[in-house]
Amino acid sequence: MREIKYVIKDEMGIHARPAGLLIKEAGKFTCTINIKKDTKEVDAKRIIGVMGLGVKQGEEITVIFNGPDEEEAAKTVAEFLKSNL
Amino acid sequence: MFNKLKEAFGLGSKKNVILAPVEGEVCPLSEVSDPTFATGILGKGVAIRPNRGRVVAPANGVVTIMFDTKHAVTITTDTGAEILIHIGLDTVNLKGEHFKSYVKADDRVKAGDLLVEFDIPKIKEAGYEVITPVVICNSDNFPELQTITGKAVKELDEIINI
Repeated sequence: MREIKYVIKDEMGIHARPAGLLIKEAGKFTCTINIKKDTKEVDAKRIIGVMGLGVKQGEEITVIFNGPDEEEAAKTVAEFLKSNL
Repeated sequence: MFNKLKEAFGLGSKKNVILAPVEGEVCPLSEVSDPTFATGILGKGVAIRPNRGRVVAPANGVVTIMFDTKHAVTITTDTGAEILIHIGLDTVNLKGEHFKSYVKADDRVKAGDLLVEFDIPKIKEAGYEVITPVVICNSDNFPELQTITGKAVKELDEIINI
């Protein structure tokens, strides 16, 4: 298992567009990827779940990777977050 | 017997129909200038060029997300389709201005219930397109999804069959 934490910098939080791009990135990997905010945890490959977290600017998310390609997935998602959110 | 009758009247087969949440001109999603929608990343569906600033529930279901900014709403229908209705492009930036919501997350809605009102002239004046993608986020679950585009619709005309 791998875990990364990230504080959202985008003024609008995780809205439809970044959520869509994020699930596209997540979908490239076979490992499970979950996003957690506070006590709520959702599948990063499901758009409704990701948007439904309602993550706002300044809030921290934890992304949890579990599976054979978790290392690479964690790297890719970390880079995605940094450049998009 | 009853089911047969229902089918004969087209009721049984209608349960997987998504109705127009907005009155306007329906076009293929590919015509939306935002690639997030046009390329289907968010799911398959259609876009509506609205001529009336009202969004109604496109099917019976539950409101899953009402964005704080009120520019987008998702409904999970009783048949399991997760529908995103996104009013305009980049309208998240309006932070709720020119939008009024009538429902909140977890509210149960019937097809035709009013969800959001939006002010088309003001949104355009602010520099945003009002084209409204209607997307089935979990369209992978509905391989036979068909869209009906290239025509004007009133609220609750059929736009998607799943």
